[in-house]
Amino acid sequence: MGYTAIEKVLARVSGRTSVRAGEVVYPDPDLVMVHDGLVQQSKSVLDGIGIDRLAQPAKVMFVSDHDVLYGNARAAERGAFNRRAARDWRVGAFFDVGEGGHGHIFPLEDGRVLPGMFYFDNDTHATNAGAVGAFGMRVGAEISRVLATGTTWVEVPKTVRLELRGAAGYGVHGRDIGFYFAARVKDRTMQVSMDARVLEYAGDLEQFSLGERVALCSTPTEIRAAGIFVPPSDAVLAHCRRHANVPFDAVYSDVDATYEASVALQLDQLGPQVALPGSVSNAVDVAQAAGTRIDHAFIGSCGSGMYEDLLCAASMLKGRKVATGVRLFVVPGSQRSLRRLSDDGLMPLFLDAGAIILPPGCGPCNDAVVGPLADGETSISTAASNITGRFGSREARLFLGNPLTVAASAVAGAIADPRALALDEALYARRSAAYA
Amino acid sequence: MRDFEWTLKGRCYKLGDDVPHADGVIPARFITQRETDPAVLAEHLFAMTDPGFAQRCRPGDIVVAGRNFGVGQKSTGYIGMQALGLGLLCESMPAQGYRGAINAGLRVLAPCTGIDAFCAHGEDLEVDFQTGRVVNHTRQTMMQAPALPDALRELVACGGNDAWLANWWKQGQR
Repeated sequence: MGYTAIEKVLARVSGRTSVRAGEVVYPDPDLVMVHDGLVQQSKSVLDGIGIDRLAQPAKVMFVSDHDVLYGNARAAERGAFNRRAARDWRVGAFFDVGEGGHGHIFPLEDGRVLPGMFYFDNDTHATNAGAVGAFGMRVGAEISRVLATGTTWVEVPKTVRLELRGAAGYGVHGRDIGFYFAARVKDRTMQVSMDARVLEYAGDLEQFSLGERVALCSTPTEIRAAGIFVPPSDAVLAHCRRHANVPFDAVYSDVDATYEASVALQLDQLGPQVALPGSVSNAVDVAQAAGTRIDHAFIGSCGSGMYEDLLCAASMLKGRKVATGVRLFVVPGSQRSLRRLSDDGLMPLFLDAGAIILPPGCGPCNDAVVGPLADGETSISTAASNITGRFGSREARLFLGNPLTVAASAVAGAIADPRALALDEALYARRSAAYA
Repeated sequence: MRDFEWTLKGRCYKLGDDVPHADGVIPARFITQRETDPAVLAEHLFAMTDPGFAQRCRPGDIVVAGRNFGVGQKSTGYIGMQALGLGLLCESMPAQGYRGAINAGLRVLAPCTGIDAFCAHGEDLEVDFQTGRVVNHTRQTMMQAPALPDALRELVACGGNDAWLANWWKQGQR
């Protein structure tokens, strides 16, 4: 029998000829990523023991994305601590605030995360690496062990195969597919568990550009997938080759690989989805939520932080105004995207619409360090999660939608079906070439 | 690892299915505050559902839960559970939670299929985490669960991730 992509990648980094799902391995990662929120805790653990050096500092990358504005003294202290830690530990790459951007976005854009790679990360949405056919694996606070020893234990995940059939309709995006899938797993229409599994997409994937592939990685992760794998297309490989500074080998599952389960989803009939408050799995057709008044909207996060997502928003906002009483936050995923907004002349369009541009990073999605909600307010966003309290108040209602739905809702002042509003077709069409 | 006690003997503390980690195992505020002090977490274990639990339980007692125990991304409460000397058996728990429990050095068997029907609240249990053998002394019955995987025993015996790391560093300095 053949091997799945995750089995092949983990075999390579574990120095083995082959591994199977269920085995425990100790991978030597290609990269170790630590986000701004966990540097201090990790260093405290190591300092407490007396460990004064990292196993492989050159492989370590610090990113600053969860709290980039320092809204209080504690955050500023943490930033100062992180800068000292990067110096003391001599980490290979340190992206301070204002550099790089979201750690789950900019490394995909600039060729730091490449097909076939494996890395450890403290944060759950490292699974975005699947958009280029790589694996980033969350280890949480155990990142301290990875920093000190170079590795930690990994149980090789089982893989569930999800075949996408047909073409996604107008106004339907990667996020909608994720919400719909999560809802079908919850209602048991699809009898699979994502817990600690890799979700591997298959079928009609050529239609999905890099940004759409990032969007496909988001929601399955929220229902506990340990990894996502989108077999890289020629277009994705071409993008990676343009930016890569090191050679890479794309990895694909064998045709006779062993999957725990295989399920299929027909895209032709799928419309834009909205996840009702409480869970990404509460997805319904946008019509069922349409008309719900909103106070707050947000476009960005690791799930929708690519340049394509900004083009979506721009195509809907062009020539329109954000409704009175609604605040719309737009958070580019990377400094590169922010620069492109300026270079491409899109920045005035957002400003004219009345959108608030925040610096690249997680935006409100990280425990509402920016842009929180008040009690009784309602939000629709492209955040990764809409669990109660995600944006501060536990008395706020959080809906999720694709970037087009969120932009349309911000303009309407209420949740709206984006297909009902004309958009700038030329801008919308530029998505396909966003990473070409 | 010879000194480590792999067998726990105590009373069964029974919980149902789908107990969330936040506000189920431990009050959510300790999770958002990133509290890691074992003494603080031990004191507030199950505080929302069963005030006074920490004072009533004894080392060796076994928490027996149903499906999907401790659901949520965090696993702060297992530090408190370990500090109280408790063991954990559950029908199932999310992989991230299991990983958190192991990293807290908690003696845990999960999945432990059939454990819900095997025992009731307050019954006397004896669990060998190294072999997976569970004895119900009250009913005089025995069941076999999958043992704690070999690869994770050193981590648990050391007392979890941080203690393992300290031990690893000490060994290397010799």
